[in-house]
Amino acid sequence: MLASLKWLKEYVEIRISPAELVDKLTMVGLEVESMRERSPSFRNIVVAKILSVKHHPQADKCFLCEVTTGDTTYPVVCGAGNIRSGNVVPFAKVGAVIPGGYTIRSSKIRGEISEGMLCSEEELGIGDDSTGIMILPGNLPIGKDLSEALDLTDVVLDIAITPNRSDCLSIIGIAREIAAITGSNFRYPDINVTENDEDIKKITSVHILDPDLCPRYSARIIKNVAIGPSPLWMRQRLEAVGLRAINNIVDVTNYVMMELGQPLHAFDFRFLEEGRIVVRRPLSGETFVSLDEKERILETDTLMICDGVKPVAIAGIMGGLNSEVKEDTETILLESAYFDPISTRKSSKWLGMNTDAAFRFGRGVDPEGVVNASARAAQLMAEISGGTVCKGCIDEYPQKVKKAKDIPLRVKRVNDILGTDIKDAEIVKILKSLNMKICEDTNGHYRATPPTYRVDIEREIDLIEEVARFHGYDRIPVTLPPGSSVTVTKDHKEIVRKRLREILQGSGYSEIITFSFISPGSLDMLGLPAGDDRRKIVKIRNPLTEDQSVMRTTLVSNLLETMKKNANAGCFDLKVFEIGRVFFHQREGELPKDKNMFGCLISGMLDNNIWLSKTSTDFYDLKGCVENIFDGLKILNGEFRSDYRETFLHPGKSCGIYVDKRCIGFLGEVHPDVLLKMDLKNKVYVSEIDMELLADCFTGDVCYKELPRFPSVVRDVAFVVGEDLEADKMLNIARDMGKELLEKVSVFDVYSGKSITQGNKSVGLRFIYRAPERTLTDDEVSQVHSGIVKHIVDLTGAKIRGEGN
Amino acid sequence: MLKELEELQKQADAELLVSKTEEEFLALRTKYLGRKGLLTGFLRNLGNIEPEKRPLVGNHCNEIKNAITEKLDDALKAIAGLKQDDELLRDRIDVTLPGRKIRVGKLHPIIQVSRDICEIFEALGFSIVEGPEIELDYYNFEALNIPKNHPARDMQDTFYIEDNIVLRTHTSPVQIRVMEKQRPPVRILSPGRVYRPDSDISHTPMFHQIEGLLVDKSITFGDLKGVLTSFLKQLFGEGTALRFRPSFFPFTEPSAEVDIRCVMCSGAGCRVCSQTGWLEILGSGMVDPEVFKNVDYDPEDVSGFAFGLGLERIAMLKFGISDIRLFFENDQRFLEQF
Repeated sequence: MLASLKWLKEYVEIRISPAELVDKLTMVGLEVESMRERSPSFRNIVVAKILSVKHHPQADKCFLCEVTTGDTTYPVVCGAGNIRSGNVVPFAKVGAVIPGGYTIRSSKIRGEISEGMLCSEEELGIGDDSTGIMILPGNLPIGKDLSEALDLTDVVLDIAITPNRSDCLSIIGIAREIAAITGSNFRYPDINVTENDEDIKKITSVHILDPDLCPRYSARIIKNVAIGPSPLWMRQRLEAVGLRAINNIVDVTNYVMMELGQPLHAFDFRFLEEGRIVVRRPLSGETFVSLDEKERILETDTLMICDGVKPVAIAGIMGGLNSEVKEDTETILLESAYFDPISTRKSSKWLGMNTDAAFRFGRGVDPEGVVNASARAAQLMAEISGGTVCKGCIDEYPQKVKKAKDIPLRVKRVNDILGTDIKDAEIVKILKSLNMKICEDTNGHYRATPPTYRVDIEREIDLIEEVARFHGYDRIPVTLPPGSSVTVTKDHKEIVRKRLREILQGSGYSEIITFSFISPGSLDMLGLPAGDDRRKIVKIRNPLTEDQSVMRTTLVSNLLETMKKNANAGCFDLKVFEIGRVFFHQREGELPKDKNMFGCLISGMLDNNIWLSKTSTDFYDLKGCVENIFDGLKILNGEFRSDYRETFLHPGKSCGIYVDKRCIGFLGEVHPDVLLKMDLKNKVYVSEIDMELLADCFTGDVCYKELPRFPSVVRDVAFVVGEDLEADKMLNIARDMGKELLEKVSVFDVYSGKSITQGNKSVGLRFIYRAPERTLTDDEVSQVHSGIVKHIVDLTGAKIRGEGN
Repeated sequence: MLKELEELQKQADAELLVSKTEEEFLALRTKYLGRKGLLTGFLRNLGNIEPEKRPLVGNHCNEIKNAITEKLDDALKAIAGLKQDDELLRDRIDVTLPGRKIRVGKLHPIIQVSRDICEIFEALGFSIVEGPEIELDYYNFEALNIPKNHPARDMQDTFYIEDNIVLRTHTSPVQIRVMEKQRPPVRILSPGRVYRPDSDISHTPMFHQIEGLLVDKSITFGDLKGVLTSFLKQLFGEGTALRFRPSFFPFTEPSAEVDIRCVMCSGAGCRVCSQTGWLEILGSGMVDPEVFKNVDYDPEDVSGFAFGLGLERIAMLKFGISDIRLFFENDQRFLEQF
C-alpha cells in the first residue's frame, strides 16, 4: 500500500520527521518497506504571467509573447494557441531543466529572440495534457518556483499491510494509526453533499436477491456530469499512490477507495436497462464482458450486479464494458456496497482477476462505511464534474454483518501473556486511542467494542495484541522461561544421520542438496521396469516446470544430474552424497509414503595433487565407502551380493548391500547405456541405501574386547582358482571351519597373468591364528591350518600356488 | 705465584676468544690441560711452594682448570652441533610442495547452518523432531488457523498433489503433529525442506526452514524475546542488535518479526537491507488460542511461543551469498568453499 505523506497530513498532524514516522509505523506492525521522495524532474521553472501575445511575423503557427516573473520581462516564442494575455503559466527560464534532461537556452526562432519556454503539463511531466500550455490558477504568486507554488513535492511510503489489517488499506486507516501512535488528533474528511430535490427513489431501485453474498448495497444518482480530466491535485494524489488518472468520475471512485478504503463503482445510468440494479448469482451459462474486454462464462457463485435484464458488473471485482462511463456520460449511478469477503476472494481467484477492489472486499471493508463513502464520492463528483446529486441514497441492508461487541478483557491475562506489569489505565488508554469503547465490569475485568472497521478484532487475544503493539514490543522485558521439565530426546534416525555425515565427510565425500522433484523422464533414463516400486510416482498438480513435476522415488537420478552439471562445468572428479526423502504414491486421498535415503556418487581421479600419483576411482573405492559406513555404525554383518540387479547398473560390477540377509541398498558402476544417454564420458559409481533400514541395524552399542596377551601366528597361502570364483566363498569356508583358533582371514593379493593359466586367478589369503590364553605351538597351528586349506581346496577345486601347478 | 696464575688465566681466556675451529680448540686443550700443558705443569709444581700457601694456590688452580674445561667443552659441543646440522641439511626436502592429504568432504552450507542452530536450541532443552514433507491441507493450513479462502493463504503459494494434499509450505505443521501426540510441556525444533512455487534470484521452489515450539505453564512474550535474543546472539555474535516488531501470522498472536542490525552495513542502510538498516531474520509469536483448541490444549492453562526461520537466508547472510539458487546447483567449486 502506497501512502502519500501529504495526503496523510490532511487527516492527521505529523510533526515528526519522515524517517521517524517510518520507524514508528514499522514498530506498530505497519512495516514500511521503502520511503521515496516524489519531486518533479524539472528545475528552475517559475510561475509567470503573460503580458502580451501577438503573431510571429515569420511563422504562422507561432506567437510572440512577453512574460513577466515580477521583476523581469522576457520575450518568448511559443507554438501553442491556447494562451491569452493575462494567463498565468509555467515558465522555463534560460538555464532551466525540463524532464528528460533538456536545458533551456536562449535562441532565435525565425529571427525572433526567445528567452525561455512556456510549458504544457506533459512537458513538465506532471500530467498527460499536451494540447496546450498549462494554464495555472490566477492566484499563484508570480515568480515563485513552480514546484513550490503547486506543492508538487511529496514523500511516499510503501507499507506492507498484513492480511488481517484491511482497515489500513486506505489513507485514513494509516492516518488513524499515526494518530494513535503520536497522540495527534485524527480528522475525518468533511463530508457534505449538496443534493437537489429529485428523489432517487423515483429514478432507480436496488434489489438484492442473494443477501448471503451481498449483505449491503447502496446507490446514489449524480446527474449532469461533464466528463473530463480531474483537477491536478487529484491526479497528483492518485499518481502518488500508484493509480492512473482516467477521468473525473472514475478518478473519484478510485480516490475515495484510496482515501476511505471503500471500493466504489460508477455506472453510466443510461445503459442500465429498466433503470434499476439487481444483485444476484448468474443464470446458468450467462457470459459477461468486463472492462478489460475479456468475455467470461460465469460460475454459479460469482455474484453479479445486473440491471433489469443483464449483468453489468462482477460484484466487487470489475465493472462491465456495457455500462462503462464514457466521454458523453451524463448520469451516474454510484455503487457503494459490502460484499461477502470469502465469496469475493473465491470469485477473484477463480476468474484470475485480482483488482484493487477485489483485494479490499476480499479482506473485509467496513460494513458501516458504505454510505459515508458514497456520500463522499457524490460530493467530489459534484464538485469536479459540475453534476448535481439527487436527493437521498438507496441503502439496502438486508443482512446485518456480524460485528464484534463487548469482548471480555482481563488485565491479568494481558500481563500473563505478555510477561508485563501494564496497569489498567494504560490498557484502557491504548484501546481508547484505537477508538474502542471500553466498559469496566469488575476490578481488572473490562469489555471492549472495537470500531466496525477493525474486522480483525474479535477475541481477547486480539485486544492483547493491540495493547502489546502500542505499549511497545521493545518495552516488554526480556526473560527466560523456567527450566524445562521435558527430557531432551534424541531421535535415533537423527543420530544415525549425524554419524553418517561424519563418516562420509571423513571419507572425502561432500554433501549435496538437490530438489525433491524430478522429471518423469528420468525414471525412463534409468530404465526402471513398469512394475518397479519406484514407478509409483507422486505427481505435482501445478509444477513450475515439467522437469520438476514428480516427486523423486530414488536419489540416483539427482546424483547423476549433479555429476552432469559438474562435468559441464569442467569438474570430472566428484565425491558427493545426499541424504533426503523419496516418496511413493499410495492411494488417492492418502498421504504418500516417504522415507529417507542415502545416496553417494564417485567418479574421476582419486587424488587432485598433480605431483603425486593419480589413480582412477573404481568400484572398490565406493565399496570401501560403504564398508566405512558399516565400520562407523558398528554394523558387523554387512554383506555384498553379486546376484542383485539394477537396470541402470553394470551387471558385472554391481551388488546388493545386505545386513542380516535383508537388502538395504545397492552399489555399482553406472551402466554404460545410461552414461551414454547422459553424455558422460567417465565411469561413474553410485550407491543408494535405505536410511530407515540402516538405522534399524544401528544400535550404538560398543563392547570392548580384551587386547590379546599372546602372540599370533600368520600363514599366507595363494590359491589358484577359476576366475569366476568369488573370494567371499573361500573366506566363508575358512571362517566356518576355523572358529576356534582362526582369528582373522583376509585377502592380501589377487593376481592373474604370467604363470597363471588362462581362465584362472591367484587369490592370496592371510590366516591369523591366535589362542586367548596361551602361545600356540607350530604343530597346533599347522594341524588346523592344513585342515582349512584342504577344505578350501576340496570345496572349490583350488590349487595351491607353487605346488606343482 | 698467584700473579702468574692470573696471567695464565688471562692468556687462556684471550686465546679461547679468538679460536674458531675444532682444531684450534683441541690445540688449546693440549696447551693448557694436556699432560705437558701449562696448567698441568703448574699443578705439578705445587710441591715447591710453602705448605701454608698450598691449599689457596691449589684451589685457585683447580678453579681455573674447571673454567677452561667448561668453556672448551661448550665450544666443542657447539661445533659438533653445527656439523650435524650441516649433514642433515644436505638431506633437505621442499617443504613448500603440497602435503599428501586425505581430502575431507564438506557439509552443505545449509546443513552446517541447520546443525549450528539445532545445537544452540538443544542446549536450551529443545528436542529435534521431523514431520512429513507431503502434508494434509489440515496440518499445513487449517489446524494452523488458516481456513480455506482465508486471505492468509495468499501469503504462501502452494504446490498441490490433490485437493487436500500439498507439499508443505512451511515447517509449522510439525507443531500440530507434535502437540496432537504429546501433552505439554513441549520444546521442539524441526528443521526440514519446504516447498513453494516460486523461482528467481531470491526464491527456489524448495528451501529449508526450522520451526520451534515451546509450550508450558505461564510462558510469556517476554520469554519469547529472551529465548530468541539468546539464540540470535549466539548465532550472529554477542554484539548483535535486534528488534521485535509486530506482524501477523494466523497461528500466533501477538506475532513478531525479529530483525537484526544489517550485517553488511551495520545499520547505515545498503542494498542488502533495502536501506532500512535491519534484516528480517525470523517470524515468531505466542501460539494462537485457536491452534491450542485444535490440538485439545487448554489456552487458559498453558501458553507458548512458536518461531520459524529460513535457513537459506541465514546462510546467505553468514556467507555473503547473493543468489539462492547456488545452494541447489551443487557445483563442486561452490561446495568446496564451506
